[in-house]
Amino acid sequence: MASQYTPETLQKISELLTKNPEYYTVWNYRRQVLRHEFTQAASSDSAEAAADRITTLIKNDLLFLMPLLRSFPKCYWIWNYRLWLLDEAKRLLPLSISRRIWEEELALVGKMLRLDSRNFHGWGYRRVVVDTLETLTSEEQGESMAQAEFEYAKKMIGTNLSNFSAWHYRTKLIQRLLNEKSATDAERRKMLNDGQTMAPNLSQSERLDYVRQEIEEIQDMLDGAEDCKYIYQALIDCTLLASKIQGTMSSDDQQKVLSWISELKKMDPLRRGRWLDFERSLCA
Amino acid sequence: MSPVSGAGQSDQYLCVQKHVEYIKNLDSRRDELEYWLTEHLRLNGVYWGLTALHLLGCPQALPREDTINFVLSCQRENGGFGAAPGHDAHMLYTVSAVQILVMLDAVGELEKRGLGGKQKVGSFIAGLQDEKTGSFMGDEWGELDTRFLYGAFNALSLLGLLDTVDVPKAVAYIQECENLDGGYGIHPGAESHSGQVFTCVGALAIAGRLDLINKDRLGGWLSERQVDNGGFNGRPEKLEDACYSWWVGASLAMIDKLHWINGDKLAAFILRCQDPENGGFGDRPGNMVDVFHTHFALAGLSLLGYDGVEEVDPVYCMPKAITTKCLSK
Repeated sequence: MASQYTPETLQKISELLTKNPEYYTVWNYRRQVLRHEFTQAASSDSAEAAADRITTLIKNDLLFLMPLLRSFPKCYWIWNYRLWLLDEAKRLLPLSISRRIWEEELALVGKMLRLDSRNFHGWGYRRVVVDTLETLTSEEQGESMAQAEFEYAKKMIGTNLSNFSAWHYRTKLIQRLLNEKSATDAERRKMLNDGQTMAPNLSQSERLDYVRQEIEEIQDMLDGAEDCKYIYQALIDCTLLASKIQGTMSSDDQQKVLSWISELKKMDPLRRGRWLDFERSLCA
Repeated sequence: MSPVSGAGQSDQYLCVQKHVEYIKNLDSRRDELEYWLTEHLRLNGVYWGLTALHLLGCPQALPREDTINFVLSCQRENGGFGAAPGHDAHMLYTVSAVQILVMLDAVGELEKRGLGGKQKVGSFIAGLQDEKTGSFMGDEWGELDTRFLYGAFNALSLLGLLDTVDVPKAVAYIQECENLDGGYGIHPGAESHSGQVFTCVGALAIAGRLDLINKDRLGGWLSERQVDNGGFNGRPEKLEDACYSWWVGASLAMIDKLHWINGDKLAAFILRCQDPENGGFGDRPGNMVDVFHTHFALAGLSLLGYDGVEEVDPVYCMPKAITTKCLSK
């Protein structure tokens, strides 16, 4: 089959991959056929004609992948191949054209995540698309999309509060946003109050007040939800944090933590070993 | 590794002989479409089946000479191995090839009959390290994934060739993949996932850098993977699956926190995933069995010190007796 890089070969390859997209060697062969066609297109009469032909080849191939991605959303090889194709667009086409292709990709990954909001590949893929789009600009230092992505993550969390993938994305974006803005203390404080996630540059005593207030609020949540283990875990985490700021743990705090641990031992028997270790470390 | 107390006292027991038969017969199904549709996994499949047979105490159940011949028939000119004869070389299958040869005590066959000996295999793997990031690609087409980094460390250390790659750079890359929850993702910035946690912790173990892990935080996240029916999920709010018994369990074992979960309930869940009549394990009770889940379910039982299962090495996912011997050479 060596070096038969023809449209007929491509057709056969498509049939094979439609039957079994896990056939990674066939994907590699498809790349070689495409590379061959790109080279031929590049020898067109004008640069414009070459770009047109390459764009058509890439867009057709992106279209070919769509039904496969829908049927096999967890198949690594399809996602990989698609990224390779998009990278080829970046490598071979003028910036304005490749940027448009990548923008359409962002819209597509948005659609996929609406259908399956926890798809691991989908989220990873979104990050790659965003990273690339940030470089596909005439701006020399690139153009940050962190704010827009932050809004996107917020929207996804709003749709489903248990979307850990979106929460995770948010933790990464907040750090980026604050760094990019070289955020002032006031801005950091505003983010903390609006979004309950990121600590501003507070003084030690401000920090302690903040944590103590957090502990009180969490304690209020216990009322009527005494069987929710996450509340006890949060109380323990915050109390340990307060002790860390103070440099020592008061015996009062220690008693409280020990009593929460004994609740956890009762309501979280699967992880009893963890709570026992923890208890021992506190008493040591 | 100390056995978890009480493991093995569930109302179900391990159908050892059924599983051995199931694995032995896998290769006699050439008249089934499924056999050919899984050709892209053949070399992985041999590794899964062979390891499972070792753990079941029947290491001789596959014909040794045929197995070696098959492995060597998957090697390509560049030194790497494909999934089956005629398939392109890739990290995933090259690692399986090395693991199989080590289990058969047949690495020497690479010098006698392989293409360029173990050095050539090592240089294929080393050539896939990305100079910029220190991570590893799956093949020449450039996909990066912490799975490949772990695979490279696994195979190279078994071959005694780990010094042919930039270990500190790869270790720094793993650290970039660590998240606030203590877990690790597929790339820097990616969500924590138990499979990826295993690969990152395993690679750090091979590099001798487990000290870089926040063990309390990671152990906490991993222990939260156990759900009420005893099984593990791969990420929060996802379904449990027998294969995570391995990814989560081995990670916990490597950081000495396996006692943070309930071993009895995990063992009972794993046993409910077996097909007691025809052998093999599925992802969940009542589901179709396959050799992938069979292997990882048995490896999970081994971590728990389950009676009648040989001890597994949580870093390499191979029989402990074999890795100990190989690595002390």
